Amino acid sequence: MISLAIRYLFSRKRQSLFTLLGIFLGAAGFVIISGFFAGFRTFMIDQLVNNSAHIFIEARQEFLTTHSLDDAFFAKRISHAFWKSVPAGKKDYNRIENPEGWYKRLEADPRVDAYSPQLVVAALFSKGGTSVSATLTGCTPEQQARVNTIAANMTEGAFSEIGNGGNRIILGQELLRRLGAKLLQNILVSTGAGAPTPFQIVGVYDSGSKGGNQQAYASLADVQRANQTLNLVNQIDVRLADYEQSASVATTWSGISLEAIESWDQRNANIFTIFSLQAMMRNIIVSVVMLVAGFGIYNVLMMTVTQKMKDIAILQAMGYESWEVRSLFLFQGLVLGAIGAALGLIVGYFVCQYLETLPFGGRAGTTVPLGHLAIDLSFAIYSQAALLSILSALVASYLPARAAAHFTPIEIIRGGTE
Amino acid sequence: MALSAQQVSKRIGNPATQILTSISLEIPDGQFVALTGRSGSGKSTLLYMLSGLDSVSDGAVLADGKDLSQMKRVEKAHFRNEQIGFVFQFHYLIAELTVLENVLLPAKKYGKAAERTEFAKSILEKVGLAEKHQRLPRQLSGGEEQRVAIARALIMEPKYLFADEPTGSLDSVNGEVVMKMLELANVEKKMTIIMVTHEMDFAKRAQRQIQLADGKIMHDSS
Repeated sequence: MISLAIRYLFSRKRQSLFTLLGIFLGAAGFVIISGFFAGFRTFMIDQLVNNSAHIFIEARQEFLTTHSLDDAFFAKRISHAFWKSVPAGKKDYNRIENPEGWYKRLEADPRVDAYSPQLVVAALFSKGGTSVSATLTGCTPEQQARVNTIAANMTEGAFSEIGNGGNRIILGQELLRRLGAKLLQNILVSTGAGAPTPFQIVGVYDSGSKGGNQQAYASLADVQRANQTLNLVNQIDVRLADYEQSASVATTWSGISLEAIESWDQRNANIFTIFSLQAMMRNIIVSVVMLVAGFGIYNVLMMTVTQKMKDIAILQAMGYESWEVRSLFLFQGLVLGAIGAALGLIVGYFVCQYLETLPFGGRAGTTVPLGHLAIDLSFAIYSQAALLSILSALVASYLPARAAAHFTPIEIIRGGTE
Repeated sequence: MALSAQQVSKRIGNPATQILTSISLEIPDGQFVALTGRSGSGKSTLLYMLSGLDSVSDGAVLADGKDLSQMKRVEKAHFRNEQIGFVFQFHYLIAELTVLENVLLPAKKYGKAAERTEFAKSILEKVGLAEKHQRLPRQLSGGEEQRVAIARALIMEPKYLFADEPTGSLDSVNGEVVMKMLELANVEKKMTIIMVTHEMDFAKRAQRQIQLADGKIMHDSS
């Protein structure tokens, strides 16, 4: 039956070739599109994971409820307060209540690779007549360098130069440009508490994004002093040994503390929505291609069944059973699917290899080669493409195969006899 | 041992049209039987019912005492492959296979193609097609194609050979060749041959002639 199925395929070369082309395009398309999207996803995750901390512990935030303000206004003099306009909104705290407790917990947790206590404040940066508002992060440079790639992103100076005091500051490229400042020049920083504090620019960094470059870093002690909040910490950035545990660890910690805790993927949930949309788009494109290819197989085999009715009759008269007749046509679909898939995977692989050489904005500190398009060449994509191609070919050939096996020999032979 | 029909009837369609009515006959092993009659008399229907290719509406067909309609799927496949050979008015050769592959097709069913290859070549030699065994059907004449079809019917050395107008599409010379091949199979292999034919000259050469009219046996020479 297998040799006969192959003879059938070769006897109608042009039809077989076009059908093969459909499967080939589907498989190659799947590999290329999936490789591109998955590569882009990996690239983006690498950017997020490597450039920033994995978990962010921030001062707690509470949402006001109907009874949140009862004590503040009525001091337990009444048991129930009825509001005409119900209290609503968010109540922010400006500090992490027990940072030492957190430090102990983080140091004892084997999943934690590093952490960095911070004081993050909104500040006004001034030089001459130019003022720019931006975020100022106070941190310990040794600890901060272990939780994100800020130290590796320095374009001028070293991150460690902010030290643990001495009013030295590092600016993002964009903030530096907007202030019109240069390295080693002095600027004034005002956090709204007390008089502006002078800082000397000892370094410049480039995070890769315009928003990320509009920030500044100084030592934790200097920022606490400038903000007149000695010993205050309002954020702890945490890096885990395994970033994939971030969401589950963040959720666990949220359950046992009052602080607002988010993982990197929870914070960037919108990006994951884009990834889902990409996957959906890929599935739609590939499904359409496979559907067209499958329809091609269906048409060709249906035509073959009609043309080969006499063959089917004679085979059945010789004792060949329905399943064997069915397999004659299923095997043709399988051969078309397998060859189309194999060619599609090979061509898809080489196209992906070529795409990887195309220039693209890669970055230092990531696993993606600098400056080239990231394409996923993983085995899973290729096995999925092969499976999908063969499966769609089999599904498309099943109906003609079933139709072929449905006839009895006498029904076919009767056409030519009394 | 024999092939027999017991009160066999056949109706088709809705409303039902009676094709055969209460046919009873017994064909002993090794007999050459010719079924004759006008078009529409039911002779081909009787042939296909005797071979088990078509089902009966009433009655039973027995091969060596075994009811063909009671056979299970696998048993029926074995019966068709090993006990029965068919020759149709049209050769029904598979266009994509060579002459030899077409002849060996029944043997392939149970993986006996290799062991039957020499036998297939010897049959092809007998029918004068030894030199053409690698050709495709389209490279043969009509008579040659029908000879290949007979060789294919003989490859499993079946007990019964059913032929439905085997000379119907051939000229007199090729018709004679085909008829001689059937006679040879009957004499040499003791094959039971049941042949439907319109040609009375060929029918008279059979040991037994059964004439049908309107779905009934009008004359049986036995």
